[in-house]
Amino acid sequence: MTALRDAPAPLLEVTSLDVVLGHGWRAHRVLSGVDLAIWPGQIVGLVGETGSGKTTLARAIVGLVKPRAGHIAVAGTDVSRLGRRALRAHRRAGHVQLVFQDPLRSLDPDLTVAGIVAEGLVIRGGRPAAEIRSRVVAALSQVGLDEALLSRTPGQISGGQRQRVSIARALAVVPRLLICDEPVSALDASNRNYVLRLLDELRTSLGLPIVIISHDLSSLAGIADRVAVMYRGEIVEDGPASQVFTAPAHPYTQRLIASAPSLSKPRLSRRDRKDQ
Amino acid sequence: MRATLKLPSARIAIGILVLIAVATAFGSALAPRSPLAIDPGALFQGPSPRHLLGTDYLGRDVLSRLLAGTRLSVATALEAVGIGLVLGAPLGIATVFTGRWLDFTANRLADAFMTLPNLFFAIAVTAALGNGLVQAMIPIGILLAPHYFRITRAATLEFARAQYVEAAALLGASTAYLIRVHVLRKVLPTIAVTTASLTGAALLSVSFLTFLGIGVQPPTPTWGGVLSSDLNYLNLAPWAPFIPGALIAITVGALNALADAFRDRAGAGTLALPEFLVAGPPARAAAVPVPSEEAADAA
Amino acid sequence: MPPDPVLTIDDLRVTVHHGAAEAVRGVSLSVAPGEIVGLVGESGSGKTLTCRAALGVVPAGCDISGGSVSFLGEDLGCLSGKEWERLHGSGIGAVFQDPASYLNPVLTVGSQLTEALRVKKRLSRRAARERAIELMGAVGLREPARVYHQIPAELSGGMLQRVMIAIAISGDPRLLIADEATSALDVTIQAEILTLLLRLRDERGLAVLFVSHDLAVIRELCDSVAVFYAGEIVESGPVDEIIARPRHPYTQGLLRVASAGDLGRRALEVIPGQPPAVGAPIAGCRFADRCPVAADACRAGEIASSEIRAGHTVRCIRAHDAELVAS
Repeated sequence: MTALRDAPAPLLEVTSLDVVLGHGWRAHRVLSGVDLAIWPGQIVGLVGETGSGKTTLARAIVGLVKPRAGHIAVAGTDVSRLGRRALRAHRRAGHVQLVFQDPLRSLDPDLTVAGIVAEGLVIRGGRPAAEIRSRVVAALSQVGLDEALLSRTPGQISGGQRQRVSIARALAVVPRLLICDEPVSALDASNRNYVLRLLDELRTSLGLPIVIISHDLSSLAGIADRVAVMYRGEIVEDGPASQVFTAPAHPYTQRLIASAPSLSKPRLSRRDRKDQ
Repeated sequence: MRATLKLPSARIAIGILVLIAVATAFGSALAPRSPLAIDPGALFQGPSPRHLLGTDYLGRDVLSRLLAGTRLSVATALEAVGIGLVLGAPLGIATVFTGRWLDFTANRLADAFMTLPNLFFAIAVTAALGNGLVQAMIPIGILLAPHYFRITRAATLEFARAQYVEAAALLGASTAYLIRVHVLRKVLPTIAVTTASLTGAALLSVSFLTFLGIGVQPPTPTWGGVLSSDLNYLNLAPWAPFIPGALIAITVGALNALADAFRDRAGAGTLALPEFLVAGPPARAAAVPVPSEEAADAA
Repeated sequence: MPPDPVLTIDDLRVTVHHGAAEAVRGVSLSVAPGEIVGLVGESGSGKTLTCRAALGVVPAGCDISGGSVSFLGEDLGCLSGKEWERLHGSGIGAVFQDPASYLNPVLTVGSQLTEALRVKKRLSRRAARERAIELMGAVGLREPARVYHQIPAELSGGMLQRVMIAIAISGDPRLLIADEATSALDVTIQAEILTLLLRLRDERGLAVLFVSHDLAVIRELCDSVAVFYAGEIVESGPVDEIIARPRHPYTQGLLRVASAGDLGRRALEVIPGQPPAVGAPIAGCRFADRCPVAADACRAGEIASSEIRAGHTVRCIRAHDAELVAS
């Protein structure tokens, strides 16, 4: 993994990104001067609480939000200010894929699993139906789902399966970077670990870099190589996971780690009294 | 859609409308007597075996006149609705996806047309275009278009903002694809509901226009025309106007009942969690236990 | 003589879907005055329904088909609507997961708290207003006088939850039921709310029934815990004891899966399989299909709870062997 990191060019490079949302008097700065680079084969955890701007950052990277200043480069190409047609062509190439937080909302309830996972390929066009089907089956097996689910609709499968279908949809177009926005927050602990393990395997087997956005530090502890901590639109800390978790430099990171409920550290009530 | 047909109100409504549809298609052929046959010896007769609904002021068989008039009344109402649908619905869907200027302009146009009084506008246009029922329905159709526009636009807005539409856009989908694959299917129930209720409104407009004598020349029978002439002779045949009146009311009522049945069903078409049995306080979509898992969940 | 428990649930059975399935199957627990009891389990395990039965607000289609719930010795099964109204707020308070949906979006939070005070404590308008500001300060809202005049949309999730807690304790209840009260909050805010609940317990002797799917949160807050699985309590006891020496294979699985909190690199564990459908008729232990140490005897007949240590009960006949499996 370290060897891959020595590769010179990062796959994704965000430079001095500023994003302002809202118009007129309602406008507020959501991201300020954000720098982030992702190399192949890494899993980067992006941690932040409500209002930190982590989801906006993800949306800006995939072009759903236009930045006020700064650049976003995917494999060397600046994608931050593409026109509609160019943006569509870039999306069809499928370099960067986003997995949404809530599969209930991000999967069309009227389409079958087959239709959903095949969507990227269908939009891209130019492939015979048989080939699309085989690629869909391959994507499903990558996430541990059986062919039998092909004809089901999202309403007929479980929450964990829905989230995996969402990931399969992203994988079907063979992306070079996967961004997962809170992929496991809606799942219970066991399903959560299963999906995280799955992402870990994808990184190892495909060399696929993955950005996992989370408000929950503990889910990143199992698999992130690197952790970037966001607070109020800025990245306040960015480093190897082991370092950030054991020796956090920024006070906000320290506070995050201290607040995380733990099974092994002294309990809150005792910690409080300790502070006093 | 199938679930709608199970409701008794929908079944009765559809039954009535099927009868009307048959009358529209084959009315003249089904009429027992010629709608134009005058019989001076049989004026203002009540219902009898010879004349099931009686006779009018010229001795013509009322049942035959109404059957013959169904086609004209219903077909022109459908014409108006068709015009409204074609003008209003596609525009309603499109403005959600186009730029702000088109959206703004379309909305203001819709506002403007909605302020026009329907029947006066229809009468004025008929005066300009010539007195014919077909011509009279064009302005009615134009006036129905803003309703289609508004309702379709509202429904489309709701679905266009869905995350799965965003996900498809992220895969590089064009606007046409998004509408065709994701939005259209979900907006159709709303269009169906609107069509059912606006057909009723159009039918009332037809009846009113023909009641006023606009668009048709005597002795062409229409529902409104029969009603109008009946009212002239109320003192001689007080029961007479109830028959065409009831016919109009029942048909419009059936259309509205059908629209209501569609509407109730359309709301139930959203994704419902399959096993959300224990309805606790609103929780975010946590893992829901499902009876069986096809694939093992662990390696 | 130990004081009488605030809440006693005895062999509670709740059916759902108009009696089609039994979602809560003989749950028994008690909450002592000033005790914080945690209920942990996956969704569908029956913990929320148990709380709702204790509050008298089971959803439509659900019925209490057996057992009893007593509050301060009074059986709640035969209360009338008016008596429940008297109890809500002044005997038992409740906070739920999404505070915004329990508040009127167009009224200021202060006025809603004042209204609760006027109804529960019969205070005059001015007295209620002063008490409301006092309460808002007591739950940790900075500048309560300013927050008083704000509407829910202007407040963050954490602040709204504090308002909900203020409303819940405004009637000076003896018991607070918190159902996933911190699950939707950021982790730093969650820590603050947990500290607040501890402080309220210390200052007012408030007993708390805290429901969560997160074992680590329960461990931070609770004195004792009951582990729910498929409608039953499979293990219960003091929280430190359960965490250190879990005896039921499901509890052991939960601990393996749960966030270790030390944030070091760890193998991500899973519990294979899925919980049974709600109310599914299963002979014997309901966890047997997923249990690493299940034996034939486990599927033979109903498994009863047994006390293996003071206050620590397990519903497992392999509890001694399970100790070997525990990591």
